[in-house]
Amino acid sequence: MDFSFSEEQQMVAQTVRDLLTDQCSSADLRKMMTAGEGLDEARWTKLCEMGLPGIMAPEEAGGLALKDEDFVLVAEECGRAALPEPLVEHAGIAVPMLAALIDNPAVRKVLEAAATGEGRVAVGHPANLFVDAADTAAALLLWHNDEVHLVSVDDVKLVRQPSIDSFRRLFRVEWMPSAKTKVADAAKGKALWALALDRGALYAAAQCLGMGQRIVEIAVAYAKDRTQFGKAIGSYQAIKHHLANCQVKIEYARPAVYAAAATIETPGPEVRALVSNAKLSAVEAADFAARTGVQVHGAMGYSWEVDVHFFLKRALGLAGAWGDRNMHLARVADCVLNSGMPLGPAATFPGGTAHAR
Amino acid sequence: MKVLVAVKRVVDYNVKVRVKADGTGVDLANVKMSMNPFDEIGVEEAVRLKEAGKATEVIVVSIGPAQAQETLRTALAMGADRGILIKTDAEVQPLAVAKLLKAVCDAEQPGLVITGKQAIDDDSNQTGQMLAALWGRPQATFANKLFIEGDKAKVVREIDGGLQTVEIDLPAVLTTDLRLNEPRYASLPNIMKAKKKPIDEKTPESLGVDIASRLKVLKVAEPPKRVAGVKVPDVATLVQKLKTEAGVI
Repeated sequence: MDFSFSEEQQMVAQTVRDLLTDQCSSADLRKMMTAGEGLDEARWTKLCEMGLPGIMAPEEAGGLALKDEDFVLVAEECGRAALPEPLVEHAGIAVPMLAALIDNPAVRKVLEAAATGEGRVAVGHPANLFVDAADTAAALLLWHNDEVHLVSVDDVKLVRQPSIDSFRRLFRVEWMPSAKTKVADAAKGKALWALALDRGALYAAAQCLGMGQRIVEIAVAYAKDRTQFGKAIGSYQAIKHHLANCQVKIEYARPAVYAAAATIETPGPEVRALVSNAKLSAVEAADFAARTGVQVHGAMGYSWEVDVHFFLKRALGLAGAWGDRNMHLARVADCVLNSGMPLGPAATFPGGTAHAR
Repeated sequence: MKVLVAVKRVVDYNVKVRVKADGTGVDLANVKMSMNPFDEIGVEEAVRLKEAGKATEVIVVSIGPAQAQETLRTALAMGADRGILIKTDAEVQPLAVAKLLKAVCDAEQPGLVITGKQAIDDDSNQTGQMLAALWGRPQATFANKLFIEGDKAKVVREIDGGLQTVEIDLPAVLTTDLRLNEPRYASLPNIMKAKKKPIDEKTPESLGVDIASRLKVLKVAEPPKRVAGVKVPDVATLVQKLKTEAGVI
């Protein structure tokens, strides 16, 4: 059984990393932070030129019809760069949700614009108190008693909410559901909102994975450069063991995130538990890396001088998005204790797939 | 017109290279490798020529180990049509590269060959010029702008202190300079298509080229470490030090 990513998947991830290294540097983030901006249209255009907004849209809507296991590495790279633009929620959550409703002509029109990136779509899920990047979206997918409503941003009132991460622009949305805005009834909507929650949790986890890795890289580079008592501080166990622990947590979270991506559309509590496990472990890894990264930088670790704060704030924000720790722990516990989930080595893979062939 | 672009797999430009302890070369273990940036500019220019209807086919060629195929795939994802990998694990120096490219030119009969002005690993800046000489065709090096007009090419070259415009007959060899263009990022659809594009594998032997080294590397050393500066109490001391110690005024 080959669990590795294909050459194309790795090339997509590498190309996104190259683009974001070039277009989303620390200097770019600082410039945006100073200006109080949450979106750089030039960078968004570059992301669109690569075809990223439509990566999971069906081909008939101008997309590439790729899957979650293709997008998970992209989301990881977005986290690694602390990308301010809402690519992950647009391409990884909103677009697949629209794709499931493509038979509706109004949805199809929005989906076609979303696939090219011309029209951004934000998602108002009941698991989140506020809607991220609603102000720069053309349309919003909103929850009302499990129904799905597609609403133009012109038809809602947005009330800005404070966020610890200045790049996450959160809004309370005031709107009136109507028959005109309804694109899925409660029966169909319930399943769509459930999958959206899983995708939200999965891609928050993937971003946390990327953020954790980036923090370790920043901290390791600093620990190699900064000297005390004539030696690089990274040579002291008090530093290097902590950083090694960060990497261990990241490496343990990584397969959990990838496994969730590979199985997310499979029904059943086991997969829901896999998603929750991915979110729990990746958030923990990013949080631990951020706290350690701050400490490695010494007294200036918490200041704006050091890039770690970008990732620390994003990790804190994402920790509570798409289900908090308690909610995901409860899902794992429910799956293990109440669902009759088969346990043990023979049940390592969902559906009873043989461990090795 | 076919355009042939030579692409080399080199240490990524973001990597801080380390010299091997024995001074025989640079440590390549676990180091990220990428396409030589000047070659990337070459691929971009060739793809633009094709998009403008001036070229009919873009062929990329790389010489190196099996992993050089990844570099070719990157070029194919940028928009090249097919690749040729001349597979060898041996060190290949500029003259041998030029001979191998000449053999490919004989087989493919391109209207234009584009190489980077130099590779960022050895900084030789020789391959394009050697190929032009071996092939017996004109060359325009350090290209800043390229205009194809029928069977001629007008090339603006970067030279010390300015620009020089030359006109050359095609087929010809062009080497790229940094400002010729800004290479694109491969789009997702092109990355997906790249896997299906053909890569022919050849060997130096199959092309009848002897790639034996003509140069011997005696020693590779890191640049001397920059010594720490000193603070001077006043301008007079600074001037004094610049005169007596640095000897620059």
